[in-house]
Amino acid sequence: MKTLRGMLAGAAIATALVVTGAVQAQEPVKGGTLVIGTTQKPRHLNPAVQSGVATAVPGTQIFATPLRFDAEWQPQPYLAESWEVADDGKSITLHLRKGATFHDGKPITSGDVAFSVKTVKENHPFKTMYGPVTSVDTPDEQTAVINFDAPHPAALLAMSSALLPILPEHVYGDGQDPKSHPANSQTVGSGPFKLVEYKPGEHIILEKNPDYFLEGKPHLDRIIIKNYKDVTSMVLAADKGEIDMLPFLTSTRDLDRLKKNDALEVTNQGYAAVGPINWLAFNTKNEILKDLKVRQAIAYAIDRNFIVNALHSGFSTPVTGPVVSGSPFAAPDVNGYDLDLDKANALLDEAGHARDGDGTRFKLSLDYIPGFAEMQKTVAEYLRPQLKKVGIEVKLRASPDFPTWAKRVSGHDFDMSMDIVFNWGDPVIGVHRTYLCSNIREGVIWSNTQSYCNEEVDTLLGQAGTETDQAKRADLYRKAQAMIVDDVPLVFLNELPYHTVYDKKIGNAPLSIWGPMAPMDDVYKSQ
Amino acid sequence: MTVLDTKDESLPRAEHPAAEAWRVFRSRPAALFGLLLLSIIVIVSLFGPVLYAVDPFEIVWAPLTPPFETETAILGTDNLGRDMLAGLIVGGRATLLVGVTAALITIIIGILVGALAGYYLGWVDDVLMRITEFFQVLPPLLFAMVLVTLFSPSLPVVAMSIGIVSWPATARLARAEFMRIRGLEYVSAGRSIGARDGRLIWRVILPNALAPLIVSATLTIGVAILFEAGLSFLGLSDPNTMSWGLMIGSGRQYVLDAWWVVTLPGAMIFLTVLGVSLIGDGLNDAFNPKLRER
Repeated sequence: MKTLRGMLAGAAIATALVVTGAVQAQEPVKGGTLVIGTTQKPRHLNPAVQSGVATAVPGTQIFATPLRFDAEWQPQPYLAESWEVADDGKSITLHLRKGATFHDGKPITSGDVAFSVKTVKENHPFKTMYGPVTSVDTPDEQTAVINFDAPHPAALLAMSSALLPILPEHVYGDGQDPKSHPANSQTVGSGPFKLVEYKPGEHIILEKNPDYFLEGKPHLDRIIIKNYKDVTSMVLAADKGEIDMLPFLTSTRDLDRLKKNDALEVTNQGYAAVGPINWLAFNTKNEILKDLKVRQAIAYAIDRNFIVNALHSGFSTPVTGPVVSGSPFAAPDVNGYDLDLDKANALLDEAGHARDGDGTRFKLSLDYIPGFAEMQKTVAEYLRPQLKKVGIEVKLRASPDFPTWAKRVSGHDFDMSMDIVFNWGDPVIGVHRTYLCSNIREGVIWSNTQSYCNEEVDTLLGQAGTETDQAKRADLYRKAQAMIVDDVPLVFLNELPYHTVYDKKIGNAPLSIWGPMAPMDDVYKSQ
Repeated sequence: MTVLDTKDESLPRAEHPAAEAWRVFRSRPAALFGLLLLSIIVIVSLFGPVLYAVDPFEIVWAPLTPPFETETAILGTDNLGRDMLAGLIVGGRATLLVGVTAALITIIIGILVGALAGYYLGWVDDVLMRITEFFQVLPPLLFAMVLVTLFSPSLPVVAMSIGIVSWPATARLARAEFMRIRGLEYVSAGRSIGARDGRLIWRVILPNALAPLIVSATLTIGVAILFEAGLSFLGLSDPNTMSWGLMIGSGRQYVLDAWWVVTLPGAMIFLTVLGVSLIGDGLNDAFNPKLRER
């Protein structure tokens, strides 16, 4: 019996090896259309001035970046065929490919790189990403030297994915505000695909760029990003084979369902750099919430384990600090406020919020991002009766669509809000922005919308952002995280269980650290 | 209103119109069934929460527990572990309230517009009817969605929106009745003894035009409840008030794995609308002498 099972297992492994080998050896098929399903609607398609997945997935197809990263966090040549980091860490020299052109046929020069760095520095919500840049020198058409006022360990990562799209200066440099430039919806980039049609809320059609600077790529003729009204109809469409790829899927019941479909592959690879955290944010300017004790009390009143195990069927993982567990800068040892209703009540009593006749201490409203029910609305609905236990009456404030929610939160017009914010690879890019005093910028979503300010945290983050020694850097981040958790500008809840579902006909699915937010020039579709 | 001397015992005593209507209504089993159904639902909605005092928002058991598996939540739990039974009992209040409020708004706007147009005719009629037509050609669900989106989903907004999109039909009905009645002799008689327009409209014509409008209003309640459910299904309902629509809206994601989260509130809506419609049909028979003899 034992031998038989062993033999069977061996045979299975052998078969698997043969199959895998066959897939790897297979020549990429030319042509075909890749249909990507999404429920997210981008504001526009220019990642230089807009963060977020909805813009990044089409944005990374349309715009090329100087570098790209593989699945092992290693930088690879892209628009830049080589690069050097100066010994003092204060400058990076990029050597651009010769003969690379934009979709309109004009050549890509170092001037466009300088212009793009300037545009991103001035307009992108991630201020820390290019904040240290002092100047960009362009000694010749193919060479760009980016100078920093201090060593910038996150710079290479900030030149990949959707973070530094190279914009044609002759299109975007006409003096119009880059945030509302008409070419944000009629893009001119240099990536493997170019924009053919953009119908907001319906679809984005991208077509192969025949003059792409990487020979023989892309393999696909077309990418269609199709908008669905809700996840359920999108998942049914995937189940029926109408969609080739569903990135960023988090709904656990749908994942269960799609796993049973033999034609589909379900993987959580490709989200290493995203580091998505689901959290409860406080408006620390609010009369009640500006009191640290109130914020701590709310943190103690929430049961993360219930959220992860009961609401997310164990698919998601708890988060207790600003950096996700997969990052080298995570600090799992910081105090993460485990459920303690007595402590919560005691803190609220101390803060001077006595219960009235109904047992209510005070009322607060709670916003949530529409369209992510399991992570947002469901958790918000859970918080309502849960916070009632400690005498806080929560009123849920529904937003009919994403822009409404974004306007409320970025306009600091909220008490509490559920939010999903990404680490974006390096803490300098995706973590600092939430906590720096200097990044309290009304009107910018995913800036420091909590209006949280602690000078010591700013100092620590500043040091960590310029420290080139990895161990010292991690130590600085641990200290900063402990302080942030003590101050509770937000309550960290869980890491999103992001998965990509794709048809098994799809070869070279995008599974690098940036997953679907990277150029899909290697992806192909076998018949 | 009548010139007959009802004290004259030699004449056969006329049955009071309301009594007559009730006699007809009573003879329709379907209408009685509808009345019984709706009465039960209203009574449960009003007094149920007192007898079954479970907070419908409280998490009482494991999420998505099927019905009849635990005594704590006999009809199962929703995706958060909230008691379905508590939701069904309390949820009826908001749903019925939205239905009745929307019907009231419909009937008030409808009668106001219809009465003025049908009584004055001429340019007043032209202007009011163009406005009515404008509202009539807008797709109702879409228009209601726009309104709810603009003013954020809350119960009053949902009720107002449904009222605003449903009044044109009532207005046209009221206008037709007013046009018919304004030419009748008793109206002319009223006018000849010096009754002003206001009196003729509200005291003379309206009571005589009310019967079909009551039927229409009753049916509007049913339509409004379905409307609320439709908006909720699309996620446009007030998350702070438990309603059957809200239960359907938040349960729809789970319908493939947990039938009860949508089916139970759906069945309640179905029964309520059925009750309302049967009553409306019964009233139609009762008020309409031509149909009565069938």
